[in-house]
Amino acid sequence: MDVMGIAIKVALLTAYAVIGTCVGLLFMGIGRKIIARVHNRVGPPFYQNFIDVAKLLSKKTNISHGWIFDLALLFSISGILLTLLFLPIGGVQLLSMEGDAFLVLYLLAIPALGFALGAGASGNPNAGVGVMRALVMMLSYELPFIITLIALMIYYDTTSLATIVRMQSINGVKSWAITMPPFMLAAFAADMALQGMLMEQPFDIPVAPHEIASGPMVEFGGKYLGSLMLYKAIALVAETTLFVDLFLGGGVVAHGNFAFVINFIVWLALIFLLFILSILIAASFPRFRIEQAFGFYWKYEAIIAAISLIWVYILVIK
Amino acid sequence: MGLYIGDKMMKYEEWSKLAIKVSKASLWMLHFCTGCGAIEMPPVMTSRYDMERFGIAPMATPRQADVLLITGYLTVKTLRRVIQVYEQMQSPKYVIAFGSCTINGGMYWDSYNTIKHLEKYIPVDVYITGCMPRPEGIINAFIKLMELIDEGKARGWEKYQKYYDKYKENQRRVFNFEIEGENEEY
Amino acid sequence: MLDIIFAELIIAAIITFFVGKKIASIIAGFISILPLFALIDWANNFGFKTISFGIERQMNISVAGITLHLGITPLSWFFALMILPLFPLIMLYSYSFFKENDGFYPFMLFAFASTFGILLSKDMLSLFLFWEIMSWSSFLLVYRSRDKEAIISYLIFSVFSAFAILFGLMILWHENFSLLLSDIGRINGIYGFIAIASLIIGFSVKSVLMPLHAWAPFVYSKSDEPFVAFLSGGLSKLGYYGMFLFLFTLNGVKILQNYTPNVAWNYLLAVVGSLSAFVATMLAIMQDDLRKLLAYSSIGQLGYIAIGFGIGTPLAITGALFQAFNHAFFKAVLFLAAGAVAYRTGKWKISELGGLAYRMPLTFLAALFAIFALAAIPITSGFAAKWLLYEAAIQQKYVFIAPLMLIAGVGAFLYSFRILYGVFLGENRYPDVKEAPKSMIAAMFILMLPLIIFVVFPGYMLDLMKPALSNSGIESIAHTKFAIETSLAKYNSMAVLITLIAAMVPAFIIYKARKHRITSFEDNYLAGEPYEFHNPSMHAAHNFYKPLKGVVLPYFEPGATYYFEKIYKGIGILSNGIRRIYTGFVQDYAIYVVIFLLAVMGWLIWM
Ligand code: SF4
Repeated sequence: MDVMGIAIKVALLTAYAVIGTCVGLLFMGIGRKIIARVHNRVGPPFYQNFIDVAKLLSKKTNISHGWIFDLALLFSISGILLTLLFLPIGGVQLLSMEGDAFLVLYLLAIPALGFALGAGASGNPNAGVGVMRALVMMLSYELPFIITLIALMIYYDTTSLATIVRMQSINGVKSWAITMPPFMLAAFAADMALQGMLMEQPFDIPVAPHEIASGPMVEFGGKYLGSLMLYKAIALVAETTLFVDLFLGGGVVAHGNFAFVINFIVWLALIFLLFILSILIAASFPRFRIEQAFGFYWKYEAIIAAISLIWVYILVIK
Repeated sequence: MGLYIGDKMMKYEEWSKLAIKVSKASLWMLHFCTGCGAIEMPPVMTSRYDMERFGIAPMATPRQADVLLITGYLTVKTLRRVIQVYEQMQSPKYVIAFGSCTINGGMYWDSYNTIKHLEKYIPVDVYITGCMPRPEGIINAFIKLMELIDEGKARGWEKYQKYYDKYKENQRRVFNFEIEGENEEY
Repeated sequence: MLDIIFAELIIAAIITFFVGKKIASIIAGFISILPLFALIDWANNFGFKTISFGIERQMNISVAGITLHLGITPLSWFFALMILPLFPLIMLYSYSFFKENDGFYPFMLFAFASTFGILLSKDMLSLFLFWEIMSWSSFLLVYRSRDKEAIISYLIFSVFSAFAILFGLMILWHENFSLLLSDIGRINGIYGFIAIASLIIGFSVKSVLMPLHAWAPFVYSKSDEPFVAFLSGGLSKLGYYGMFLFLFTLNGVKILQNYTPNVAWNYLLAVVGSLSAFVATMLAIMQDDLRKLLAYSSIGQLGYIAIGFGIGTPLAITGALFQAFNHAFFKAVLFLAAGAVAYRTGKWKISELGGLAYRMPLTFLAALFAIFALAAIPITSGFAAKWLLYEAAIQQKYVFIAPLMLIAGVGAFLYSFRILYGVFLGENRYPDVKEAPKSMIAAMFILMLPLIIFVVFPGYMLDLMKPALSNSGIESIAHTKFAIETSLAKYNSMAVLITLIAAMVPAFIIYKARKHRITSFEDNYLAGEPYEFHNPSMHAAHNFYKPLKGVVLPYFEPGATYYFEKIYKGIGILSNGIRRIYTGFVQDYAIYVVIFLLAVMGWLIWM
């Protein structure tokens, strides 16, 4: 690759990193508004989360518990940006040709682990409990998610997200995975897993503010909390995009001129819809206990996912 | 001991216009539910009065919060915790005190185990009068606090740093024992 | 030269019986570097340009009319590459670990010499001979623990493994009338099948494959840490070396397949491996003893290698060998770090430790990096190995194995964090603990190097295993220096690393833009409660994964371990019965002799 090509690529990646952050913060604000409307409240302005982050980053004083605590800040933002850039977004491949879905799964663990390290380093017992819950949640929701992922992979005979998106966009909406009956089941299971990934109610067990004082975040304030909010915003975009890439053809509907713009808008609409869905679920359910969440994912969701996997397997073998 | 480690002296003037604007529009509160006032918080947060429309959100820990709500009378024992929590908050930080109990002791004016003037122990930015203040009053207090921040008058945290010794002196007088830590920074 | 290396190892082993601890560890450390020179020299054989020391490739030793054929093969070279470097570093570590020389060094050197011998064996006799020396010297090292369960279980399983291997080798010899391993390919039919099967079973004891893993938790948790690091990092690979040798290099897969064309035996191996990975991971999550946790984690991580061998495609085998290589290093680091923690604090229970990260930062860094490798975080080479295995499972559409493998990968995060939080983070319980001794730190950091090198250049790893693979007729997969490509996808480690560093920039700007103040551990939010009122503990590590306990454990607890405990008991009773024969009366012994003679005569007459 020549210098120009690299420069364009870097500019594109930076642009998408910025877009991802802004979209995430915007969505979080809109989500708060929607929850407020469900509660019959007015709610904050939709740009509230930008203000919150700006305020946190402009705090005069910050407290750290040592260099391991700082890893939370460093790894959470960088890890989640890295994950975002390895996803195809609205038909733009970004770096997704250099890795695949497994890589994305493991990249998602980098910010989580950094966050967990920082939380643990504070020494607060609430943080320890919170991280434990977060990890148990991870073990819970990953099982159905992994099974659906494998179903998709063996159907399309690839593990590359870019290829999965390409194969689903051949005939526009008609070739999206979700139009096939087995993948409808899978998408249901994966959407529930997404709810856990986003840590929305009923699966906001790790951060339960009233039980364990917001869990891992208990000692985070100022720039640390601000960076975690950024992380959460980008994670929201990355995780919904992962779902869109897997089941909704990455939002790719158009080819040719201006396809880029159309696909971008469709992608934005799709992740917005997914987010609204999860917000509405969140607004109407109370919190599970951790064992209940584990049972929910490993019993019901895993069985649904397994049915879809077996179904797909039979289709593929034939 | 050795718990209270304060923050470096910080000048209000060092603060940019934008930072004031954003910090005004996003006040995160820690409601330290001490006295009767706690019961007034749920209506303020929920659909009737909805404080979130002003960007005010409840937070779980002092590290994350900007505003400390002292919702009523404080016993000597609770005061110790309040001070601990207040010192764990990150500047700029504000205190809103509820009801007459925090102003002059209210109906507990002659009690042996409550403190009468909260102002003596931690700096209060806004008082709400009444016994008990109505939710409108609470929202009004927040609006007032925003105005004060805008005008550069909500400087309780600065005062606390400036007169740290005096505050500690007062606190020591109620507790009757040493609570001060190694506080070179103040 | 080769015979000199062997002789020196043996002589050093004998010398270390008689000298003090320091001298013994220095002798052992330096002598055990010698085989590494041989490794470097032999690399010339396989297409790598290195220095030549003039060490011969083949050697025959004739003792009393029996010839032992020794020599380097591409496969054994690759395995030697991952096993042999551990040894000098473990000796470096043990320089400060042991208080006195009480028999650790001689047996360790014997184990090392015999490991080297196993890797060089070209005929069955020397293979079995060295295998036995290795088993017995490692048994004597286990015996140092003075723990009944560990000793008995290791003894029983070693003997079982040795018998299974001997049985297999004897059948092969009986069919071929040749001791050379290279002649095995000629046999077929039922005998070939039984021989290969029993060899695999025999080897899978050493490589702690479930359900033959039951000895490992006891042995790993009771023996000396430097030895356990070698046992888990190095010796367990010998089992997989044997499996690879007989399955692929000597075409055992074909032998199995020819006998029963309709049964996919390798699929069975992969299923066993994935169950091993999954169940052991679940059990590891529940352990509170640091060493037991690491033991179960070893079982789980080694299960991946079996999966790779079971799937048996070039992709899978590459992944399995990569995983074996990584495991040798990261698990050694983890056991050594655990040893360093225990050396300073004297505690093994995770819930009794805590807050050591700021006291022992270098040990923490080493353990953290090893945990990254174990959990396959893409900033270490651990990821590439797992990735290859996942790809292989998807490529073959193994829908049972793939989810188990992946969920075991997620489970690895859980037990990793239990170590990180319980031991190194959380409440600062040991304010006076010092950093581990320098030699320990040095050993751990050198062991980390391969994990760093092969995440930057995963392609080099594939180059290193290429001779071994091509010698077994397995083509190596497409790769460049930085990227590995399969038919399904591509993994470019350089892209990941560069983007990670670039993404660090905004994080770093935020980090630097605002000043922060480091506060003490006591200044924690505990609902306003002052720290000194909290008695006795704020460490949340006790019963860490309690919510999972009721949900998961009942299904796994009464597993294989339970039955093996029964077997120990049974063998104990049996041995007690047999011991009664030795009554101590001469008349009784005379009667035994007479009975024996009569039996022999009867047998002769009957013949
Ligand atoms: S002012 Fe009145 S309502 Fe408030 S705490 Fe005092 S007594 Fe209770």
